Amino acid sequence: MSDYGMSSEELEQMYQEVILEASKAPHGKVGFAKGGASESIGVNSLSSGESTLQASHEYCVPAQSHQFNPTCGDEVTVRVEISDGSDGKPQRIEELVWDGQGCSISQASLSIMVDLVHGKTVDEAMDLFHDFHRLMESRGAGLHDEAVEEKLGDAVVFQGVSRYPMRIKCALLGWEGLKDSMAQALAHMETTNAKEA
Amino acid sequence: MVDFEAIRAQFPILDQQIHGHPLVYLDSAATSQKPQVVIDAESNFYRTINAGVHRGAHELAARSTVAFEEARAKVARLVGANAEEGQEEIVVTAGATAGLNLLATAFGNASLGRGGEAAKRFAIKPGDEIVVSEAEHHSVLLPFQELAARTGATFKWLGLTEDGRVRTDNLDEVITERTKVVAVTHVGNTTGAITNIAPIIRRAHEVGAIFVLDACQSVPHLKVDFHALDVDFAAWSAHKMYGPTGVGFLYGRRELLEALPPANFGGSMVELAWMDKPAQYMEPPARFEAGTQPVAQVVAAGVAAEWLMNIGMENLEAHEKTIAAELLKLGDIDGIRILGPRENVDRIGTVAFDVKGVHPHDVGQFIDAQGIAIRVGHHCAQPVHRHFGLFASNRASSGIYNSVDDARALVEAASKVRAFFKAE
Repeated sequence: MSDYGMSSEELEQMYQEVILEASKAPHGKVGFAKGGASESIGVNSLSSGESTLQASHEYCVPAQSHQFNPTCGDEVTVRVEISDGSDGKPQRIEELVWDGQGCSISQASLSIMVDLVHGKTVDEAMDLFHDFHRLMESRGAGLHDEAVEEKLGDAVVFQGVSRYPMRIKCALLGWEGLKDSMAQALAHMETTNAKEA
Repeated sequence: MVDFEAIRAQFPILDQQIHGHPLVYLDSAATSQKPQVVIDAESNFYRTINAGVHRGAHELAARSTVAFEEARAKVARLVGANAEEGQEEIVVTAGATAGLNLLATAFGNASLGRGGEAAKRFAIKPGDEIVVSEAEHHSVLLPFQELAARTGATFKWLGLTEDGRVRTDNLDEVITERTKVVAVTHVGNTTGAITNIAPIIRRAHEVGAIFVLDACQSVPHLKVDFHALDVDFAAWSAHKMYGPTGVGFLYGRRELLEALPPANFGGSMVELAWMDKPAQYMEPPARFEAGTQPVAQVVAAGVAAEWLMNIGMENLEAHEKTIAAELLKLGDIDGIRILGPRENVDRIGTVAFDVKGVHPHDVGQFIDAQGIAIRVGHHCAQPVHRHFGLFASNRASSGIYNSVDDARALVEAASKVRAFFKAE
């Protein structure tokens, strides 16, 4: 029994210190959403892949994705800039920021995702996306794969959350935004390349 | 004196541990638990008299029809509606949402000229007005908003006071000579506030509008008499009044039900059907009950209604008042704000609250870890949350089986939430 008068194990497995800390001061959170979260919630004001997005470098393609969980109102806009591969190197996440609001699980997951994938190649980020998805589908069992768990780093703390079907979406919300925004950036590059060719 | 501990013992589901704690169920506004008599009624029906109703000449079909109609009559008595054969005022629906959609569709059909001369009183045309309130559940808001869009009517609403009550100080402005339908909730499903419906109904009738009541959160908690209230239509569900899921009821003043065109078409609602002539539809309530009805569930809902009448709605109301008083102590906790009336006056034991700096999902998880079930989210009422500047909240709601100790357990747990999440 903890101070909270409960069989605290389950709860503390879910809300590990890393999660509580990360949700207080999440990495990569930048206030760019129009009107602030309280005005935009439920009003799809942040349309995906706005053409007005400006890349910070000429060789980067920007894109963003708005994700919304209608049951609780968690929302996030993930914004990426992907290098276009014109230097012959694999496409890479050059910039990754987000704005939004939600529960501690969603906020901490976004923060840890930023730490993990910022600067990674698109392929590496997609591998991490799939590994994290598998972890969240493990119903609390984890992956039993030390190599993958090492790759996932702090994100393994969400193993406890994977026991709660209602909360899995909270942990995945930001990752879905990452996947969608990367896909948009890549699609944009393909269109541009096709036009040039 | 009603023994509420003995009543609680009639709910088998409550006798279990959740996360190592005895279950405290404070989510009756979402759905109530079922007493053993209701559970038995449903399974007994299948074991002994299951058959199609209103058709077939065999003995089981006859018994099943009697059971179905007796259930309708019990439900009618619970809400002060007519039960005599030929004068029925209760329509069986698939739930409150289905009932409200039925009504909006029927009004829409009348607007297209269906139902002949008698149905003209329901017809809505461009320039007419449909009025709801900002406290509505989406199942009232959306069917009538869509009806307005289909008919070209202007969609208007009654606003809320600071503590979330439906405003009645500007009725003459909002409800005008052009208003055709006024649909308002009896009790806010988020705020727990009992709407002061008498002046709204008076004003609606003054301008010749039809008044529709969402009775989902009132019928299970208060003594309700639709005749005395003078409402025209009312919808509610069985599963919130200790009955089964999948069933609801639509009350309609007999004279109005007789004039209302049907909304759903099919078997058992038509007297004569032709290939080359318009069909001739049955009298209410059959006209609105197309297709095979959920007979076992209706029979069990009738048992639930009878069970409630035996306990006495006044007794239930007084009991839940003591729980509401305890739940309202949530508002005394530092950083917790109650979304709805703070005083235990004209409200039920449904208490929504916001915990400063802690998202409802996290609050709900923390509370659940102690075996206490509350609802988190927007409770299908986004506009009322926007009124309070929020998207989601936490909601505790009482039922007949709750004790003051249940409410105390929640208040105790809620007082620790902000510390756990280190909320600033």
